[in-house]
Order: sequence, then C-alpha cells, then structure tokens
Amino acid sequence: MDAHDYVVQCHGLERTYHDDGVPVHALAGVDFEVEKGDFVSLAGPSGSGKSTLLNCIGGLDRATAGTVTVGGVDLASLSSAELAELRLRRVGFVFQSYNLIPVLSARENVEFIMQLQGVHADQRRRDALAMLDSLGIGELADRRPGELSGGQQQRVAVARAIVSKPVLLLADEPSANLDSHTTAELLQLLADINRERGMTIITATHDPAVMAFARRRIGLQDGRIVSDLRDEGAGG
Amino acid sequence: MRTSVPVKVLAQLSCRNLWRHRRRNAMLLGAIVIAVAFVLLANSLLRGWQAQMLDTVVANLTGHVKVLAPGYRDDPSIQRSFLLPADYQPELPGVDGWASRVRVPGVILSERDTRGVQLVGVDPAQELEISFLADVAVEGDFLESPTDRRVLIGAALADQLETAVGRRIVLMTQGSDGRNREAGYRVAGTYRASSSSLEKVFVFTGREVLQDLLGSPAVTELSIKLVENGQRSVARDILQRQFAAQEASTWDELEPMAASMFRFVDTAMLIWFSIMMAALAFGLVNTLVTAVMERTRELGMLRAIGMQPGVVLIQVVMECLMIVSLGVLLGIGCGVLAVRSLSEGIDLSQWTAGIESYYMGSLLIPVLLPYDILRVLGLSLLFGLLASVFPAWRAVRVEPLDAMRR
Ligand SMILES: Nc1ncnc2c1ncn2[C@@H]1O[C@H](COP(=O)(O)OP(=O)(O)OP(=O)(O)O)[C@@H](O)[C@H]1O
Ligand SMILES: [Mg+2]
Repeated sequence: MDAHDYVVQCHGLERTYHDDGVPVHALAGVDFEVEKGDFVSLAGPSGSGKSTLLNCIGGLDRATAGTVTVGGVDLASLSSAELAELRLRRVGFVFQSYNLIPVLSARENVEFIMQLQGVHADQRRRDALAMLDSLGIGELADRRPGELSGGQQQRVAVARAIVSKPVLLLADEPSANLDSHTTAELLQLLADINRERGMTIITATHDPAVMAFARRRIGLQDGRIVSDLRDEGAGG
Repeated sequence: MRTSVPVKVLAQLSCRNLWRHRRRNAMLLGAIVIAVAFVLLANSLLRGWQAQMLDTVVANLTGHVKVLAPGYRDDPSIQRSFLLPADYQPELPGVDGWASRVRVPGVILSERDTRGVQLVGVDPAQELEISFLADVAVEGDFLESPTDRRVLIGAALADQLETAVGRRIVLMTQGSDGRNREAGYRVAGTYRASSSSLEKVFVFTGREVLQDLLGSPAVTELSIKLVENGQRSVARDILQRQFAAQEASTWDELEPMAASMFRFVDTAMLIWFSIMMAALAFGLVNTLVTAVMERTRELGMLRAIGMQPGVVLIQVVMECLMIVSLGVLLGIGCGVLAVRSLSEGIDLSQWTAGIESYYMGSLLIPVLLPYDILRVLGLSLLFGLLASVFPAWRAVRVEPLDAMRR
C-alpha cells in the first residue's frame, strides 16, 4: 500500500526509560499503521505504554529505537523546534487535564492556538465561535475554565485541538476526570467529529465505554500490541 | 512556514496573569516603587552634597579656574605674581564672575595676640560676584573699594585677637624686595562665614592697599567662576593660552582632596544603587520563580500543543518587564515627588559641626539631574530584564511532558 494512505506509521517502535538506572521498556517493539479517517482506541492496563505511544506519535517523546512517521514525515528527522511546529499545525491534543489557560476565556483559549499559527483576527474569532457552537458550548464562549464544568472544559479542549483542522487528533484519557454520562457525551462528540469531518483520532483509555465508540481497538500489554480488533459497525 | 510571535496575545496573557495574582504582584510592585524612589532620593541628596561641595570649593577663593604664577602653589609670595592691565576683562565664554587678588601669607597683630593668616587684597565688588564673602554676615562695615584702607576679619579671628570693629591691628608680611613690611589698619568689620576655619584664615583689605604695602603693582591670582562646571577644562585651556607664562588650573587640580571627595560621592551613588537593585532583583527573582513554578503545568501544556520555547520565554520575560517597568515609572514618580517635597532643603545644622570638613553646609538641598533619572530608569529596567531571564529560563528548561506530569 502507498505510504500516503497512512496518517501514522510505527515500525519497531521502542521507548526505554531509565528509572534509577533500571531500564523500563515502556514500548518494546510496536508495529502498526493508522489509516486516514480512522478512530483508534488504545486499551490496556496501567503501565502498558498507551501514553508513551501517543506521546511518541505526537512528537512529545522520542523513540529509543524504530521509526514513527506522521503524514509521511519521519519524526526522528525533525528538530525539537520542528516537532513543536508539527504539534502546532498538524496534531491536535486533548490531555486528561490542564488543557486550558486559566486566565483566558473559552473562546480566547480556542483562538490562542490560531494566534500562534498566525491566523488573522477576524477569521480566528469566526472559527473559534463556530467551533464552540458546533460542539454545543457556544453560549459559554466568554467563560473562563474555572467557571466551566469538567465536561465543558474537555469540550473546549476538543474545540481547541481541532479548530485548525489537524491531520490527527490525539486524546490521552480525555474522560478520566468525567462522570459516565459526560464521558458518553464527549465520546459521541469525538465520534461525530471523526465521521463528519473525517478526522483521524487516536485515544488512549482504560474505559470500556470509550473503546466501544472506536472503530479499531488496539490492546497493549507490557509495551507490545496484543490485540487489534476492527469493528466496522461501531463509531456512530 | 515559521510562526510569528503573537505579541498582542502574549501581552494580554501577561496582563491577565499579573492581575490574577494581584495581591502578590501589588507587593512586588510596592517593593520596586519604594526601592526606585529611595534610589532616586538618595541620588539627589548625594548630588545636592556634590553641588554644595562644588559651591564651597569655588566660593572659598578658588573659583572654577584660576591663573597663578608658576611656583606660587608651593611658595605663595608676592615674588610669584603677574601684572594684570587695569582694564582687564576675561575673554572667554561662560564667565559668571571673576576677581583678581593679591594673596600672601602674613601675620596679624593686636594688642593682645598674634596670628598667622592669609592676607588678601581684593576688589570688594568683584568678590561679591564670586566668593563666600557674598554670603557672610558682617558686623560693622564691608570693604568699600580696592583702595579701602581698612581690614575685614573673621569673627573667630577677632575673638582670638580680642579685637573688635573700629579697633586697630597691624599687618606684617614680606614685601616684593624680600624685606618685612608692616602697617597699621583699622578693623572695618568682622564677618561670620559658614565655617570658623575660614574666619580664622582670611584677612581682607583693599587690593591696592595691599599692593602698596608689598611694594608691587602685581596680582597673585586671577580667579574665575563659570556658569557651567563642565566647561572648566575648556576655560582653563583658553586661559593657559592667554597667560602663557602663568599656570591655569581647574578647581579639582587645585583642591585634590575636594576632587576625590567629589568622585567618592559618584561612587557612593553607584554602590547604593547596586545594593538596592541587588536586593530588589533577589526579591524579584524569588517572586517570579514562584509565579512560574505555579504555572509549570500550564506552560508545559502550551509547549505540548506547539508553543515554541522562545515564545514561552518571551511571554514570561514580558510579564516580568511589565511589572518592573510599571514599578520603575511609579518609583521615579514618587522619587521626584519626594525630592520636590524636600526642595526647601534638609536642615543639618545640628550635625554640621562634625561634617564641615566634608564641604557640607548646614542646609542640604537635593538636586535632581535628568541624567540621574535616565540612569535610574535605564539601569532598573536592565536589572529587571536580567532578573526575569532566570525564571523564564526555568520555565522552558523543563520538557513539556515532565512539566505536565507534575
Ligand atoms: N518519564 C518516565 N520515566 C520513567 N518511567 C516512565 C516514564 N514515563 C513512563 N514510564 C514508565 O513506562 C511505562 C509505560 O507508561 P505509560 O504512561 O505509557 O503507561 P500507560 O499505559 O499510559 O498507563 P496509565 O494507564 O496508567 O496511564 C510504565 O511502566 C511507566 O512507569
Ligand atoms: Mg497514560
């Protein structure tokens, strides 16, 4: 298959940490590809390497061995400034918490990343408001994170992550701080975004509910892929 | 495509962050304001002292520049003198006043006592333009002209000699022929100067009267007061050309003690400034480090989503500089007000006896130079910038993942 059909490719990916001199193999040889427009969930017990894998794909962490390519670019060939640039323009992140700048309103948080990208003020404002509206939180645009619930904050984080149309959305335990109802809503949101916008999404989670929303479920254990299930019927 | 630095949003972020911790930042601001105001106040007091020092030195018969015959400084006598045309006028720019004098060591005798003094033959009108005689309180009469045959002596000297206004004294000195001369004079008046040592040293009489006694039409010094102290070297060089056979000198060459004192005050200003700024920088760094540490996760997240380390650095430095510049400006404002409120001067009369020797009068009037304001402004901003670089560097040194894990 042509490499350009894949948004992400990992080959022989290893990541070894040294904990007081003791090597910890967070990733011990991971091979997989993610097709454009896919919705993948990484599952596995705590410490199985889900976050490490997401961070390597997002250019936040560097592989000890093996290769990671995003959109056909080998991340090992990029400087840290270029990796930051890649994260700014091509990858959207939703973290477990601390996604937002506390002193900026929801709209300003969404606009912030576009300001870093150099988008014009008018367009920024329009895009940010449209994005918040389409995620159902348009009326909260002027509130600061401290005045929003956890679920609302994560929605703003999703808006921030996808507003500039990255090729890839990475979400590490986006529902960890949410109740099950809010989790379901957030997942529905991600699934909608995946279906309607064709955005490639990779999430890491413990949560069986999250896995149910994904189209492809990859199981990790001890830094290795132990299962890879595709469910064509799910995701909506 | 490189990302441009979005200055506006960084400024907005900085303002909001400062406002968010307004109590802490208000304290920091207060500290900056106080430190800068104190630096400026201390600066202007020291400048005032310098100005006083200069006034004193210039007024104590030195002037800004002076022409003397070669060798006069080592051996002051009428032999080391020069002739000045009767209608002489100094030809140089920026002259505030001038005087020609005959000044020789001599002895003054009363019925009671004898003292070694400096005999100074003056034109009283000229002295009122340039010397401390303009400011003295006189009991009896001031001298009237260069031909006034009476003497003006210090009150302290009159006490020592147990003489008084209207009484007679005798002056003795070496004439131009090398022989001792003496003559009797009546005391026209006694003067009270800012320091009793002046009163004990200088005995004034008419210039032509002293020239008669010495048997010479020459003068021993030409003393010139300038409008600008800064022009003294230029003036000296011009005078040196005009009086090629004599020696032209500036006040700092003539009074090296005073000159080193003057420079010491310059140094004291810098030392005081450095101490205040170091203390301030220490507090600044501490506060800023705390502020940055609190935001470790936030800054880590910003870098994780693609903000370049340099931009994070700029944001933190900007935040620091905002509060520092505000503090410095307010501090300068307060400092200027404080100096204004002291424009009447600080009365030091109860201390002056002890500090007279440091060229200080009894009233210290602060002097605010635009140059000093600019220097305080520039250096404080520089200190602020340096103090903010460390916290900013701490902020970007941590890898985003580590920062977010904290
Ligand atoms: N910075 C680090 N230094 C040392 N060891 C690390 C570091 N980060 C991760 N590890 C180790 O690597 C392994 C994988 O960690 P990772 O965070 O990827 O797991 P995870 O699957 O995301 O777990 P969880 O479900 O708890 O989030 C773990 O054993 C962890 O202790
Ligand atoms: Mg994890």
